[in-house]
Amino acid sequence: MVGISVSNDTATDEGQRAMEDSADSGEPEIVAARHPAIKVHTEVRQPETTEDHDEKTFELRNVSVSYGGTVAVRGVSMDIFHKDITALIGPSGCGKTTVIRCLNRMNDLIPTARVEGELLYYGQDIYGPKVDPVQVRKLIGMVFQKPNPFPKSIYDNIAFGPRAIGIKGNMDEIVERALRRAALWDEVKDRLGENAYGMSGGQQQRLCIARCIAVDPDVILMDEPCSALDPISTARIEDLMQELKELYSIVIVTHNMQQAARTADRTAFFTVVSDEDTGSRTGALVEYDRTDRIFSNPSDERTENYVTGRFG
Amino acid sequence: MPNLRHHFTAELEQLRLQVELMAVRVDQNLERMRDVVEGGDSTIVSVALAADDEIDAMNVSLTERCYDLLRREAPVASDLRFIVSVLRVLSELERIGDLALRVIKLAPDHNLIASNPPTYDILRAMADQVIDRYRDALRAWATLDLTVATELATPARSMDVFYERLLAEIMRLDGPDAARVAITIFAAGRALERIGDHATIIGARLRYLLTGDPDHLAAEVR
Repeated sequence: MVGISVSNDTATDEGQRAMEDSADSGEPEIVAARHPAIKVHTEVRQPETTEDHDEKTFELRNVSVSYGGTVAVRGVSMDIFHKDITALIGPSGCGKTTVIRCLNRMNDLIPTARVEGELLYYGQDIYGPKVDPVQVRKLIGMVFQKPNPFPKSIYDNIAFGPRAIGIKGNMDEIVERALRRAALWDEVKDRLGENAYGMSGGQQQRLCIARCIAVDPDVILMDEPCSALDPISTARIEDLMQELKELYSIVIVTHNMQQAARTADRTAFFTVVSDEDTGSRTGALVEYDRTDRIFSNPSDERTENYVTGRFG
Repeated sequence: MPNLRHHFTAELEQLRLQVELMAVRVDQNLERMRDVVEGGDSTIVSVALAADDEIDAMNVSLTERCYDLLRREAPVASDLRFIVSVLRVLSELERIGDLALRVIKLAPDHNLIASNPPTYDILRAMADQVIDRYRDALRAWATLDLTVATELATPARSMDVFYERLLAEIMRLDGPDAARVAITIFAAGRALERIGDHATIIGARLRYLLTGDPDHLAAEVR
Protein backbone atom coordinates (compact mmCIF):
# COMPACT_ATOMS: atom_id res chain seq x y z
CA MET A 1 0.00 0.00 0.00
CA VAL A 2 0.96 3.63 -0.27
CA GLY A 3 2.26 5.31 2.83
CA ILE A 4 0.26 8.11 4.39
CA SER A 5 0.98 11.35 6.12
CA VAL A 6 -1.59 12.78 8.42
CA SER A 7 -2.00 16.22 9.91
CA ASN A 8 -1.46 16.83 13.56
CA ASP A 9 -4.89 18.26 14.32
CA THR A 10 -5.66 15.75 16.99
CA ALA A 11 -2.25 15.46 18.56
CA THR A 12 -2.40 14.46 22.20
CA ASP A 13 -0.08 14.28 25.06
CA GLU A 14 0.46 10.61 24.34
CA GLY A 15 1.12 11.31 20.73
CA GLN A 16 4.04 13.53 21.59
CA ARG A 17 5.88 10.61 23.07
CA ALA A 18 6.27 8.64 19.93
CA MET A 19 9.86 9.63 19.43
CA GLU A 20 11.00 8.88 22.93
CA ASP A 21 11.74 5.31 22.09
CA SER A 22 14.25 6.23 19.45
CA ALA A 23 16.06 8.68 21.67
CA ASP A 24 19.31 8.28 23.59
CA SER A 25 20.06 4.73 22.61
CA GLY A 26 23.53 3.30 22.74
CA GLU A 27 24.64 1.35 19.75
CA PRO A 28 24.27 -2.34 20.48
CA GLU A 29 27.46 -4.09 19.60
CA ILE A 30 26.99 -7.76 18.96
CA VAL A 31 29.08 -9.56 21.51
CA ALA A 32 30.03 -13.19 21.59
CA ALA A 33 27.73 -15.48 23.53
CA ARG A 34 29.09 -16.64 26.87
CA HIS A 35 29.65 -20.18 25.70
CA PRO A 36 31.21 -20.09 22.26
CA ALA A 37 30.21 -23.70 21.69
CA ILE A 38 26.59 -23.18 22.55
CA LYS A 39 24.59 -23.05 19.36
CA VAL A 40 23.08 -20.17 17.67
CA HIS A 41 21.00 -21.02 14.64
CA THR A 42 21.05 -18.56 11.81
CA GLU A 43 17.59 -18.80 10.33
CA VAL A 44 15.04 -16.29 11.60
CA ARG A 45 12.08 -18.19 12.94
CA GLN A 46 8.49 -17.08 13.06
CA PRO A 47 6.23 -18.76 15.59
CA GLU A 48 4.46 -21.93 14.70
CA THR A 49 0.70 -21.77 14.70
CA THR A 50 -1.53 -24.36 16.25
CA GLU A 51 -4.87 -25.38 14.88
CA ASP A 52 -6.89 -23.95 17.73
CA HIS A 53 -4.93 -20.75 17.97
CA ASP A 54 -4.10 -19.47 14.56
CA GLU A 55 -6.54 -16.66 13.83
CA LYS A 56 -4.52 -13.64 12.86
CA THR A 57 -5.55 -10.34 14.39
CA PHE A 58 -2.79 -8.37 12.66
CA GLU A 59 -0.62 -9.15 9.67
CA LEU A 60 2.32 -6.85 9.21
CA ARG A 61 3.98 -7.09 5.82
CA ASN A 62 7.24 -5.23 5.36
CA VAL A 63 6.08 -2.35 7.54
CA SER A 64 8.46 0.62 7.79
CA VAL A 65 7.87 3.82 9.72
CA SER A 66 9.72 7.09 9.30
CA TYR A 67 9.51 10.40 11.06
CA GLY A 68 10.40 13.40 8.91
CA GLY A 69 12.35 11.24 6.49
CA THR A 70 14.29 9.39 9.20
CA VAL A 71 13.44 5.72 9.16
CA ALA A 72 12.65 4.62 12.71
CA VAL A 73 11.90 1.00 11.97
CA ARG A 74 12.25 -0.93 8.74
CA GLY A 75 10.77 -3.98 7.11
CA VAL A 76 8.76 -5.54 9.93
CA SER A 77 6.80 -8.65 8.95
CA MET A 78 4.94 -10.55 11.62
CA ASP A 79 1.53 -11.97 12.43
CA ILE A 80 -0.13 -11.16 15.73
CA PHE A 81 -2.60 -13.79 16.84
CA HIS A 82 -6.10 -13.55 18.26
CA LYS A 83 -6.38 -13.66 22.06
CA ASP A 84 -2.66 -14.00 22.44
CA ILE A 85 -0.44 -11.85 24.56
CA THR A 86 2.32 -10.70 22.24
CA ALA A 87 5.34 -8.98 23.77
CA LEU A 88 7.64 -6.62 21.89
CA ILE A 89 11.07 -6.39 23.49
CA GLY A 90 14.36 -4.79 22.57
CA PRO A 91 16.77 -2.01 23.49
CA SER A 92 15.87 1.67 23.39
CA GLY A 93 15.50 2.93 19.85
CA CYS A 94 14.70 -0.47 18.37
CA GLY A 95 11.29 0.62 17.12
CA LYS A 96 9.03 -1.45 19.32
CA THR A 97 6.99 1.52 20.53
CA THR A 98 6.83 2.80 16.97
CA VAL A 99 5.43 -0.54 15.83
CA ILE A 100 2.83 -0.79 18.59
CA ARG A 101 1.69 2.75 17.77
CA CYS A 102 1.15 1.74 14.17
CA LEU A 103 -1.31 -0.92 15.23
CA ASN A 104 -3.99 1.61 16.18
CA ARG A 105 -2.81 4.48 13.95
CA MET A 106 -1.45 6.40 16.89
CA ASN A 107 1.42 7.48 14.67
CA ASP A 108 -1.12 9.42 12.63
CA LEU A 109 -0.95 11.96 15.43
CA ILE A 110 2.68 12.70 14.61
CA PRO A 111 2.70 15.21 11.74
CA THR A 112 5.78 13.85 9.99
CA ALA A 113 5.07 10.17 10.54
CA ARG A 114 4.91 7.99 7.46
CA VAL A 115 3.91 4.34 7.50
CA GLU A 116 4.79 2.11 4.56
CA GLY A 117 4.12 -1.51 3.88
CA GLU A 118 0.97 -3.40 4.62
CA LEU A 119 -0.78 -3.60 7.99
CA LEU A 120 -3.85 -5.79 7.96
CA TYR A 121 -6.38 -6.13 10.78
CA TYR A 122 -8.38 -9.32 10.19
CA GLY A 123 -7.36 -9.01 6.56
CA GLN A 124 -8.42 -5.39 6.21
CA ASP A 125 -5.89 -2.66 5.45
CA ILE A 126 -5.94 -0.55 8.59
CA TYR A 127 -4.44 2.40 6.71
CA GLY A 128 -6.99 2.14 3.88
CA PRO A 129 -8.49 5.45 2.68
CA LYS A 130 -11.96 4.66 3.97
CA VAL A 131 -10.87 3.52 7.41
CA ASP A 132 -11.79 5.88 10.26
CA PRO A 133 -8.84 6.18 12.68
CA VAL A 134 -11.19 6.92 15.57
CA GLN A 135 -13.02 3.65 14.94
CA VAL A 136 -9.63 1.92 14.76
CA ARG A 137 -8.67 3.29 18.16
CA LYS A 138 -11.99 2.20 19.62
CA LEU A 139 -11.38 -1.36 18.51
CA ILE A 140 -7.71 -1.22 19.35
CA GLY A 141 -7.24 0.57 22.66
CA MET A 142 -4.01 1.64 24.25
CA VAL A 143 -2.63 1.82 27.77
CA PHE A 144 0.42 4.01 28.25
CA GLN A 145 3.60 3.91 30.26
CA LYS A 146 2.43 6.36 32.88
CA PRO A 147 -1.15 6.14 34.07
CA ASN A 148 -2.97 9.07 32.50
CA PRO A 149 -6.46 9.30 33.99
CA PHE A 150 -8.52 12.38 33.20
CA PRO A 151 -8.83 14.89 36.06
CA LYS A 152 -12.37 13.71 36.61
CA SER A 153 -14.17 11.28 38.85
CA ILE A 154 -13.46 7.58 38.62
CA TYR A 155 -16.92 7.09 37.13
CA ASP A 156 -16.48 9.78 34.53
CA ASN A 157 -13.11 8.42 33.49
CA ILE A 158 -14.78 5.17 32.50
CA ALA A 159 -17.95 6.72 31.10
CA PHE A 160 -16.07 9.22 28.95
CA GLY A 161 -15.24 6.86 26.11
CA PRO A 162 -18.64 5.15 25.80
CA ARG A 163 -20.36 8.58 25.87
CA ALA A 164 -17.96 10.04 23.32
CA ILE A 165 -18.62 7.33 20.78
CA GLY A 166 -22.33 7.22 21.54
CA ILE A 167 -22.63 3.82 23.13
CA LYS A 168 -26.22 3.33 24.32
CA GLY A 169 -27.23 1.38 27.37
CA ASN A 170 -27.07 1.58 31.11
CA MET A 171 -23.92 3.57 31.83
CA ASP A 172 -23.77 2.35 35.43
CA GLU A 173 -23.59 -1.21 34.14
CA ILE A 174 -20.95 -0.33 31.57
CA VAL A 175 -18.80 1.36 34.24
CA GLU A 176 -19.20 -1.53 36.68
CA ARG A 177 -18.40 -4.14 34.03
CA ALA A 178 -15.27 -2.31 32.93
CA LEU A 179 -14.08 -1.84 36.50
CA ARG A 180 -14.76 -5.48 37.31
CA ARG A 181 -12.86 -6.68 34.27
CA ALA A 182 -9.96 -4.46 35.29
CA ALA A 183 -10.02 -6.01 38.79
CA LEU A 184 -10.69 -2.60 40.30
CA TRP A 185 -14.39 -2.68 41.21
CA ASP A 186 -14.05 -3.87 44.79
CA GLU A 187 -11.49 -1.20 45.56
CA VAL A 188 -13.43 1.76 44.16
CA LYS A 189 -17.12 0.86 44.19
CA ASP A 190 -17.77 3.07 47.21
CA ARG A 191 -15.97 6.12 45.85
CA LEU A 192 -16.84 6.27 42.20
CA GLY A 193 -17.45 10.01 42.50
CA GLU A 194 -13.98 10.76 43.82
CA ASN A 195 -11.28 12.25 41.64
CA ALA A 196 -9.17 9.60 39.92
CA TYR A 197 -6.02 11.49 40.88
CA GLY A 198 -6.57 10.31 44.44
CA MET A 199 -5.92 6.70 43.44
CA SER A 200 -2.56 4.95 43.76
CA GLY A 201 -0.41 4.57 40.65
CA GLY A 202 -1.32 0.92 40.27
CA GLN A 203 -5.01 1.71 40.65
CA GLN A 204 -4.72 4.53 38.14
CA GLN A 205 -3.17 2.17 35.64
CA ARG A 206 -5.96 -0.36 36.14
CA LEU A 207 -8.41 2.53 35.75
CA CYS A 208 -6.77 3.28 32.39
CA ILE A 209 -7.19 -0.38 31.44
CA ALA A 210 -10.86 -0.18 32.54
CA ARG A 211 -11.27 2.99 30.47
CA CYS A 212 -9.83 1.16 27.51
CA ILE A 213 -12.15 -1.82 28.07
CA ALA A 214 -15.26 0.35 28.50
CA VAL A 215 -15.56 0.99 24.77
CA ASP A 216 -15.56 -2.74 24.13
CA PRO A 217 -12.34 -3.07 22.18
CA ASP A 218 -10.93 -6.15 20.44
CA VAL A 219 -7.27 -5.47 21.11
CA ILE A 220 -5.49 -3.80 24.01
CA LEU A 221 -2.08 -2.30 23.30
CA MET A 222 0.11 -1.71 26.34
CA ASP A 223 3.24 0.43 26.12
CA GLU A 224 5.36 -0.44 29.16
CA PRO A 225 2.28 -0.43 31.38
CA CYS A 226 4.14 -1.37 34.56
CA SER A 227 7.30 0.69 34.27
CA ALA A 228 6.02 3.26 36.76
CA LEU A 229 4.55 0.70 39.16
CA ASP A 230 5.81 -1.12 42.24
CA PRO A 231 6.17 -4.94 42.17
CA ILE A 232 2.79 -5.61 43.80
CA SER A 233 0.93 -3.35 41.38
CA THR A 234 2.93 -4.91 38.55
CA ALA A 235 1.88 -8.39 39.64
CA ARG A 236 -1.76 -7.24 39.71
CA ILE A 237 -1.52 -5.92 36.16
CA GLU A 238 0.16 -9.13 35.00
CA ASP A 239 -2.56 -11.23 36.61
CA LEU A 240 -5.13 -9.00 35.01
CA MET A 241 -3.52 -9.51 31.59
CA GLN A 242 -3.99 -13.26 31.94
CA GLU A 243 -7.68 -12.73 32.66
CA LEU A 244 -8.11 -10.18 29.89
CA LYS A 245 -6.60 -12.43 27.24
CA GLU A 246 -9.69 -14.59 27.47
CA LEU A 247 -11.56 -11.66 25.93
CA TYR A 248 -9.00 -9.55 24.11
CA SER A 249 -5.82 -9.78 22.12
CA ILE A 250 -3.03 -8.00 23.96
CA VAL A 251 0.18 -6.52 22.59
CA ILE A 252 2.65 -5.27 25.17
CA VAL A 253 5.91 -3.36 24.88
CA THR A 254 8.12 -4.05 27.86
CA HIS A 255 11.69 -3.50 28.98
CA ASN A 256 11.22 -6.11 31.66
CA MET A 257 12.45 -9.43 30.30
CA GLN A 258 10.89 -11.39 33.12
CA GLN A 259 7.57 -9.70 32.47
CA ALA A 260 7.68 -10.80 28.84
CA ALA A 261 8.71 -14.31 29.91
CA ARG A 262 5.92 -14.49 32.47
CA THR A 263 3.06 -13.00 30.54
CA ALA A 264 3.48 -13.36 26.79
CA ASP A 265 2.54 -16.25 24.52
CA ARG A 266 4.75 -14.93 21.77
CA THR A 267 7.63 -12.50 21.88
CA ALA A 268 9.19 -10.36 19.18
CA PHE A 269 12.73 -9.11 19.63
CA PHE A 270 13.69 -5.87 17.90
CA THR A 271 17.12 -4.33 17.74
CA VAL A 272 18.89 -1.34 16.27
CA VAL A 273 20.73 -1.85 13.02
CA SER A 274 23.43 0.67 12.12
CA ASP A 275 24.27 1.72 8.62
CA GLU A 276 28.04 2.00 8.53
CA ASP A 277 28.00 4.36 5.56
CA THR A 278 25.47 6.89 6.81
CA GLY A 279 25.76 6.27 10.54
CA SER A 280 21.99 6.09 10.75
CA ARG A 281 20.33 3.67 13.13
CA THR A 282 17.11 1.90 12.33
CA GLY A 283 14.95 -0.46 14.32
CA ALA A 284 14.41 -3.94 12.92
CA LEU A 285 12.65 -7.13 13.92
CA VAL A 286 15.26 -9.78 14.64
CA GLU A 287 13.25 -12.72 15.82
CA TYR A 288 9.66 -13.55 16.61
CA ASP A 289 8.74 -16.82 18.24
CA ARG A 290 6.93 -18.50 21.07
CA THR A 291 8.03 -16.89 24.30
CA ASP A 292 9.40 -20.10 25.74
CA ARG A 293 11.64 -20.46 22.69
CA ILE A 294 12.84 -16.87 22.87
CA PHE A 295 13.85 -17.33 26.50
CA SER A 296 15.16 -20.89 26.32
CA ASN A 297 16.69 -21.23 22.88
CA PRO A 298 16.54 -18.11 20.72
CA SER A 299 17.58 -18.60 17.13
CA ASP A 300 19.52 -15.39 16.71
CA GLU A 301 22.68 -14.57 18.61
CA ARG A 302 21.52 -10.95 19.04
CA THR A 303 18.37 -12.17 20.81
CA GLU A 304 20.46 -14.46 23.00
CA ASN A 305 22.74 -11.61 23.99
CA TYR A 306 19.81 -9.34 24.77
CA VAL A 307 17.68 -11.74 26.81
CA THR A 308 20.69 -12.94 28.80
CA GLY A 309 21.47 -9.32 29.57
CA ARG A 310 24.80 -9.24 27.77
CA PHE A 311 24.02 -6.12 25.83
CA GLY A 312 21.38 -3.59 26.47
CA MET B 1 28.43 -0.99 23.96
CA PRO B 2 30.65 -3.41 25.83
CA ASN B 3 29.72 -6.87 26.87
CA LEU B 4 27.73 -6.57 30.09
CA ARG B 5 27.46 -8.87 33.09
CA HIS B 6 31.17 -9.64 33.29
CA HIS B 7 30.87 -10.85 36.85
CA PHE B 8 28.06 -13.28 36.04
CA THR B 9 29.92 -14.52 32.97
CA ALA B 10 33.02 -15.15 35.08
CA GLU B 11 30.95 -16.99 37.68
CA LEU B 12 29.52 -19.31 35.02
CA GLU B 13 32.98 -20.10 33.72
CA GLN B 14 34.20 -20.69 37.26
CA LEU B 15 31.26 -23.05 37.80
CA ARG B 16 32.10 -24.97 34.63
CA LEU B 17 35.71 -25.37 35.78
CA GLN B 18 34.63 -26.51 39.24
CA VAL B 19 32.39 -29.17 37.69
CA GLU B 20 35.36 -30.26 35.59
CA LEU B 21 37.47 -30.47 38.73
CA MET B 22 34.82 -32.62 40.42
CA ALA B 23 34.73 -34.80 37.30
CA VAL B 24 38.51 -35.26 37.56
CA ARG B 25 38.11 -36.42 41.17
CA VAL B 26 35.53 -38.93 39.99
CA ASP B 27 37.95 -39.98 37.25
CA GLN B 28 40.62 -40.68 39.87
CA ASN B 29 38.22 -42.96 41.74
CA LEU B 30 37.36 -44.72 38.49
CA GLU B 31 41.08 -45.39 38.04
CA ARG B 32 41.17 -46.79 41.58
CA MET B 33 38.20 -48.94 40.62
CA ARG B 34 40.17 -50.32 37.68
CA ASP B 35 43.10 -51.06 40.00
CA VAL B 36 40.78 -53.02 42.26
CA VAL B 37 39.40 -55.02 39.35
CA GLU B 38 42.96 -55.68 38.20
CA GLY B 39 43.89 -56.94 41.68
CA GLY B 40 45.39 -53.89 43.37
CA ASP B 41 45.79 -53.88 47.13
CA SER B 42 42.96 -53.17 49.54
CA THR B 43 44.57 -50.09 51.07
CA ILE B 44 43.21 -48.16 48.13
CA VAL B 45 39.72 -48.42 49.62
CA SER B 46 40.29 -45.85 52.37
CA VAL B 47 41.84 -43.40 49.89
CA ALA B 48 38.84 -43.84 47.60
CA LEU B 49 36.39 -43.33 50.49
CA ALA B 50 38.06 -40.05 51.41
CA ALA B 51 38.00 -38.96 47.78
CA ASP B 52 34.30 -39.81 47.57
CA ASP B 53 33.58 -37.64 50.61
CA GLU B 54 35.25 -34.80 48.81
CA ILE B 55 33.18 -35.49 45.68
CA ASP B 56 29.99 -35.45 47.74
CA ALA B 57 30.99 -32.17 49.38
CA MET B 58 31.68 -30.64 45.98
CA ASN B 59 28.28 -31.82 44.78
CA VAL B 60 26.55 -30.06 47.67
CA SER B 61 28.57 -26.89 47.38
CA LEU B 62 28.19 -26.59 43.60
CA THR B 63 24.48 -27.36 43.79
CA GLU B 64 24.11 -24.54 46.30
CA ARG B 65 26.03 -22.27 43.99
CA CYS B 66 23.63 -23.11 41.14
CA TYR B 67 20.65 -22.27 43.33
CA ASP B 68 22.32 -19.02 44.29
CA LEU B 69 22.91 -18.10 40.64
CA LEU B 70 19.32 -18.97 39.75
CA ARG B 71 18.06 -16.81 42.60
CA ARG B 72 20.33 -13.89 41.94
CA GLU B 73 20.65 -13.76 38.19
CA ALA B 74 17.33 -15.16 36.87
CA PRO B 75 19.22 -16.70 33.93
CA VAL B 76 17.55 -17.37 30.60
CA ALA B 77 18.45 -19.01 27.29
CA SER B 78 21.93 -20.60 27.20
CA ASP B 79 22.69 -19.38 30.73
CA LEU B 80 19.61 -21.15 32.06
CA ARG B 81 20.36 -24.31 30.08
CA PHE B 82 23.90 -24.20 31.40
CA ILE B 83 22.94 -23.97 35.06
CA VAL B 84 20.24 -26.62 34.91
CA SER B 85 22.69 -28.81 32.98
CA VAL B 86 25.28 -28.35 35.70
CA LEU B 87 22.72 -29.50 38.26
CA ARG B 88 22.00 -32.59 36.18
CA VAL B 89 25.66 -33.35 35.50
CA LEU B 90 26.55 -32.91 39.18
CA SER B 91 24.10 -35.61 40.23
CA GLU B 92 25.34 -37.90 37.43
CA LEU B 93 28.94 -37.42 38.57
CA GLU B 94 27.95 -38.11 42.14
CA ARG B 95 26.21 -41.32 41.07
CA ILE B 96 29.20 -42.44 39.02
CA GLY B 97 31.42 -41.81 42.05
CA ASP B 98 29.14 -43.93 44.25
CA LEU B 99 29.10 -46.77 41.72
CA ALA B 100 32.89 -46.71 41.41
CA LEU B 101 33.08 -46.90 45.18
CA ARG B 102 30.73 -49.86 45.18
CA VAL B 103 33.23 -51.78 43.02
CA ILE B 104 36.21 -50.50 45.02
CA LYS B 105 34.65 -51.84 48.23
CA LEU B 106 34.79 -55.31 46.68
CA ALA B 107 38.61 -55.16 46.89
CA PRO B 108 38.81 -57.66 49.82
CA ASP B 109 36.89 -60.11 47.61
CA HIS B 110 39.19 -59.84 44.63
CA ASN B 111 39.85 -63.55 44.80
CA LEU B 112 36.16 -64.11 44.14
CA ILE B 113 36.09 -61.58 41.29
CA ALA B 114 39.09 -63.20 39.63
CA SER B 115 38.13 -66.80 40.38
CA ASN B 116 36.32 -67.45 37.12
CA PRO B 117 38.38 -66.48 34.03
CA PRO B 118 35.47 -65.94 31.59
CA THR B 119 33.62 -63.52 33.90
CA TYR B 120 36.87 -61.87 35.03
CA ASP B 121 37.83 -61.11 31.43
CA ILE B 122 34.43 -59.57 30.81
CA LEU B 123 34.61 -57.43 33.99
CA ARG B 124 38.05 -56.11 33.05
CA ALA B 125 36.85 -55.27 29.56
CA MET B 126 33.78 -53.55 30.97
CA ALA B 127 35.89 -51.51 33.38
CA ASP B 128 38.17 -50.39 30.55
CA GLN B 129 35.24 -49.50 28.37
CA VAL B 130 33.29 -47.48 30.94
CA ILE B 131 36.40 -45.55 31.88
CA ASP B 132 36.98 -44.71 28.20
CA ARG B 133 33.38 -43.67 27.94
CA TYR B 134 33.58 -41.56 31.07
CA ARG B 135 36.72 -39.86 29.75
CA ASP B 136 34.80 -38.97 26.60
CA ALA B 137 32.21 -37.34 28.84
CA LEU B 138 34.90 -35.46 30.73
CA ARG B 139 36.48 -34.31 27.47
CA ALA B 140 33.11 -33.26 26.07
CA TRP B 141 32.39 -31.20 29.18
CA ALA B 142 35.82 -29.57 29.15
CA THR B 143 35.59 -28.63 25.47
CA LEU B 144 31.80 -28.31 25.11
CA ASP B 145 32.20 -30.52 22.05
CA LEU B 146 28.91 -31.33 20.38
CA THR B 147 30.32 -34.19 18.29
CA VAL B 148 31.66 -36.05 21.31
CA ALA B 149 28.48 -35.30 23.26
CA THR B 150 26.33 -36.64 20.44
CA GLU B 151 28.37 -39.86 20.21
CA LEU B 152 28.09 -40.29 23.96
CA ALA B 153 24.34 -39.67 23.92
CA THR B 154 23.89 -42.90 21.98
CA PRO B 155 24.02 -45.80 24.44
CA ALA B 156 26.94 -48.16 23.80
CA ARG B 157 25.59 -51.42 22.44
CA SER B 158 28.83 -53.16 23.35
CA MET B 159 28.17 -52.56 27.06
CA ASP B 160 24.83 -54.33 26.72
CA VAL B 161 26.58 -57.23 25.00
CA PHE B 162 29.20 -57.46 27.74
CA TYR B 163 26.53 -57.33 30.41
CA GLU B 164 24.40 -60.01 28.76
CA ARG B 165 27.46 -62.26 28.36
CA LEU B 166 28.41 -61.65 31.99
CA LEU B 167 24.94 -62.70 33.16
CA ALA B 168 25.07 -65.79 30.95
CA GLU B 169 28.48 -66.75 32.39
CA ILE B 170 27.24 -66.17 35.95
CA MET B 171 24.42 -68.62 35.30
CA ARG B 172 27.00 -71.25 34.40
CA LEU B 173 28.89 -70.96 37.70
CA ASP B 174 28.93 -74.00 39.93
CA GLY B 175 30.92 -75.36 42.84
CA PRO B 176 30.80 -74.68 46.60
CA ASP B 177 31.45 -70.91 46.35
CA ALA B 178 29.23 -70.35 43.33
CA ALA B 179 26.65 -68.21 45.13
CA ARG B 180 29.22 -65.88 46.72
CA VAL B 181 31.14 -65.58 43.45
CA ALA B 182 27.95 -64.92 41.52
CA ILE B 183 26.79 -62.19 43.89
CA THR B 184 30.16 -60.46 43.89
CA ILE B 185 30.59 -60.57 40.12
CA PHE B 186 27.02 -59.48 39.57
CA ALA B 187 27.47 -56.50 41.92
CA ALA B 188 30.60 -55.40 40.07
CA GLY B 189 29.10 -55.94 36.61
CA ARG B 190 25.91 -54.12 37.47
CA ALA B 191 27.85 -51.11 38.85
CA LEU B 192 30.04 -50.96 35.72
CA GLU B 193 27.02 -51.13 33.45
CA ARG B 194 25.30 -48.31 35.37
CA ILE B 195 28.41 -46.11 35.14
CA GLY B 196 28.15 -46.43 31.36
CA ASP B 197 24.50 -45.37 31.51
CA HIS B 198 25.35 -42.28 33.55
CA ALA B 199 28.06 -41.29 31.06
CA THR B 200 25.39 -41.55 28.34
CA ILE B 201 23.12 -39.21 30.30
CA ILE B 202 25.95 -36.68 30.62
CA GLY B 203 26.43 -36.81 26.84
CA ALA B 204 22.72 -36.32 26.24
CA ARG B 205 22.51 -33.43 28.69
CA LEU B 206 25.54 -31.80 27.13
CA ARG B 207 24.04 -32.16 23.68
CA TYR B 208 20.87 -30.41 24.88
CA LEU B 209 22.93 -27.67 26.50
CA LEU B 210 24.76 -27.06 23.24
CA THR B 211 21.81 -27.25 20.86
CA GLY B 212 18.84 -26.19 22.99
CA ASP B 213 16.77 -28.54 20.86
CA PRO B 214 13.73 -29.74 22.85
CA ASP B 215 13.95 -33.10 21.06
CA HIS B 216 17.36 -33.58 22.66
CA LEU B 217 15.86 -32.93 26.08
CA ALA B 218 13.16 -35.50 25.37
CA ALA B 219 15.81 -38.01 24.23
CA GLU B 220 17.64 -37.57 27.50
CA VAL B 221 14.58 -38.15 29.62
CA ARG B 222 13.67 -41.34 27.79
